[in-house]
Amino acid sequence: MKESTLFPLTFLFYLLASFFYFSSLFTRKEKLNRTGSGLVIIGFFIHNLALIFRTIESGHAPFTNMYESLSFFAWSTVLAMLIAEKVFRFYRLSAYLMLLVIALMALASSPLMPKEATPLVPALQSYWLWLHVSVTLLGEAFFAVAFIASILYLVASAKENKGQSFSSLSSEKLDSLSYRAVAIGFPLFTLGGLVFGMVWANVAWGRYWAWDPKEVWSLITWFFYALYLHTRIVMGWKGKRSAWIAIIGFLAALFTYFGVNYLLSGLHSYA
Amino acid sequence: MSSFIRLFASVKAAIVLIIIITIASIVGTLIPQGRSPEEYLLRYGQLAPLFQRLQLTKLYSSFWYLALLFLFSLNLIICTLLRLKPKIKRVFRPHLDFKPSELMALKNSQKIIFSVPMEKVYGQLRSILHSYHYQIKEKKGESSLTLLGRKKMSGYFGADVVHLAILLILIGGLTSGLFSFRMDLALHKGEMATIPHSDFAVRLDAFTTEYYPNGQVKDWKSTLTVVEEEKEVLSKTVEVNHPLKYKKYLFYQSAYGWDWDKADLEIVIRSAEAQGQDKIISVKNGEKVTCDPNLEIHVHRFLPDFVLDENKRPFSRSNEPNNPAAFVEVTREGERIFSGWLFARFPDFGQMHPGKDSPLSLELRNFSASEYSVIHVSRDPGTGFIWAGCIFIMLGLALAFYWTPREIRFLLQSEAGRTALLVAGIASKNKEALEKEIEKIISSLRKKK
Ligand code: HEM
Repeated sequence: MKESTLFPLTFLFYLLASFFYFSSLFTRKEKLNRTGSGLVIIGFFIHNLALIFRTIESGHAPFTNMYESLSFFAWSTVLAMLIAEKVFRFYRLSAYLMLLVIALMALASSPLMPKEATPLVPALQSYWLWLHVSVTLLGEAFFAVAFIASILYLVASAKENKGQSFSSLSSEKLDSLSYRAVAIGFPLFTLGGLVFGMVWANVAWGRYWAWDPKEVWSLITWFFYALYLHTRIVMGWKGKRSAWIAIIGFLAALFTYFGVNYLLSGLHSYA
Repeated sequence: MSSFIRLFASVKAAIVLIIIITIASIVGTLIPQGRSPEEYLLRYGQLAPLFQRLQLTKLYSSFWYLALLFLFSLNLIICTLLRLKPKIKRVFRPHLDFKPSELMALKNSQKIIFSVPMEKVYGQLRSILHSYHYQIKEKKGESSLTLLGRKKMSGYFGADVVHLAILLILIGGLTSGLFSFRMDLALHKGEMATIPHSDFAVRLDAFTTEYYPNGQVKDWKSTLTVVEEEKEVLSKTVEVNHPLKYKKYLFYQSAYGWDWDKADLEIVIRSAEAQGQDKIISVKNGEKVTCDPNLEIHVHRFLPDFVLDENKRPFSRSNEPNNPAAFVEVTREGERIFSGWLFARFPDFGQMHPGKDSPLSLELRNFSASEYSVIHVSRDPGTGFIWAGCIFIMLGLALAFYWTPREIRFLLQSEAGRTALLVAGIASKNKEALEKEIEKIISSLRKKK
């Protein structure tokens, strides 16, 4: 078995799972939902194998170029989704979250992404690479959960205002789900993105903070979620305004992750 | 409270400040920082002087950005301290005189009647609360009793710990900015450098570059020896991601290079007149040698990575020997007979473009320069604050999000052999879980009677 066959297989299972999730949403048959869940779990298991094979084939962490990164981010998002299903007992979000996962997988599969593994430059040869990237991306995956919940919140509350319901999702539940996802994502992002990032920068470059564009954008992302928490907890904002902050916060996280590499130059430009 | 303090006590001010700092930080990522004035002129034209005057080109150390961070710190301190006092009172000297109407006004409060005396209900309630790990505070009245069960109270201080940690990190940043010492040492093999403000020196004993099979650099390794009072104290091979630490100083493998200015070159001279009698000459960049009694060779310039700029002027694109070239002039009895660039990678270049009337052809056969390793030295007293801040911030976040305080207020009233129990729970988060716990406590109380 090779990663290059396992990856498309993973993608296939995720596509099948989404098909069942959406069928369940539109036919309101719970059974289809459970089939979807099962397919995601099989896909996730194959994805784990793909990542392990990639690590063995390349000899280093499976997130050092854009293709690997996208695959790993998709993996984190599925993990966050499975955790969210277990912890929040809220399955209706999964269909929409899978759309994001599929977008990431499709981008990774596109011919634009060079797939061959290259050896690591000296600065990346560190176990901090594992800790820094994986914890940060898991944090961002929970931000993705909040992002999807917030978009659905805006749709659901608009429908409720018109006296309709939106595929039996209640806006109130979506709003609290978004907060609970941020409450998991924020500490993870702080630990992986800021704390481990500073520790590693200090080990590799001799300074914990260099105002490199990628560092600054992590800080900006962090500020957005600090705003989300404070407006909510201290000023009692809920609903629409909260949802918008969670949406913009995730866009900032995406920009930190992808945009900075392509659009701004700095120390981090090899990753 | 003065209006100044009131302004800085508000979370609204904090939100405005965070938004301004965020926007400023974004601007700093769009304008490249700390480049030369020429580069800004090229990029932004007439706007360049304005950007520089507004300190947008070194934004993160500009006066106004630091002022914003200062205001933010002030805001954080005042806001946290003002809220801390009532919180401490609430946690350590809780209010126990709740009245029935007060309790009933709370959300999800309930009233239950037990047909047993108050003392009995009280004893059972205490033991049940203990089994749920609640700490109990109580106050006895004439025919009533108030009881407060609480747990995970330290969670109330989670946000304060986070805020304190952010202050520690800002203090660390300030300390680094003011008191850190950094320098780059370019060391040749065998060379020693004393470290400023210290009583020791470091010597480079070996420097190697390791390559992957495909030729890409795998690692750079410098063996450093610390010498103190003429004694060798310790020796360590430093590589990227593995610095050496000695007496608060850290030594990092940061870069490497060659002294191309003093490159040693080997030049072959072929004469069209005397075939088969090549001369090999060793010469240093910038120097002249005389080989035949009247033949003088002068190397004017050596570029390790020769390219031409827009104006067709030669320069070196990098410090790597990708396209080494030397500009050589040969004179015989004061008369120039050859002058031109020699390329080590393209030895035929000279032959294909011989000087119009030059009887000679030259070849740059070999080149070498001594390699040096660049070691970044840093002593940063701010890092202690930073790491403490990092630990506290994680601790604070864990407390704030996952150590949610729970309080349950009970009021027992004795009514002719029977007991009326008023209950209400208070939690800032995860209220449903507390409601469930209260249900369980009450049902086990009911079973016991
Ligand atoms: C980027 C900087 C900041 C971060 C990361 C931060 C973090 C936090 C966190 C994690 C919480 C707990 C939220 C929750 O329980 O859901 C919190 C609460 C709070 N923060 Fe901040 N904070 C920051 C700046 C500030 C500033 C500048 C102020 C002052 C005006 C402030 C005032 C508060 C207040 C009043 C609370 C309410 C909770 C309580 O006191 O228990 N924060 N903050």
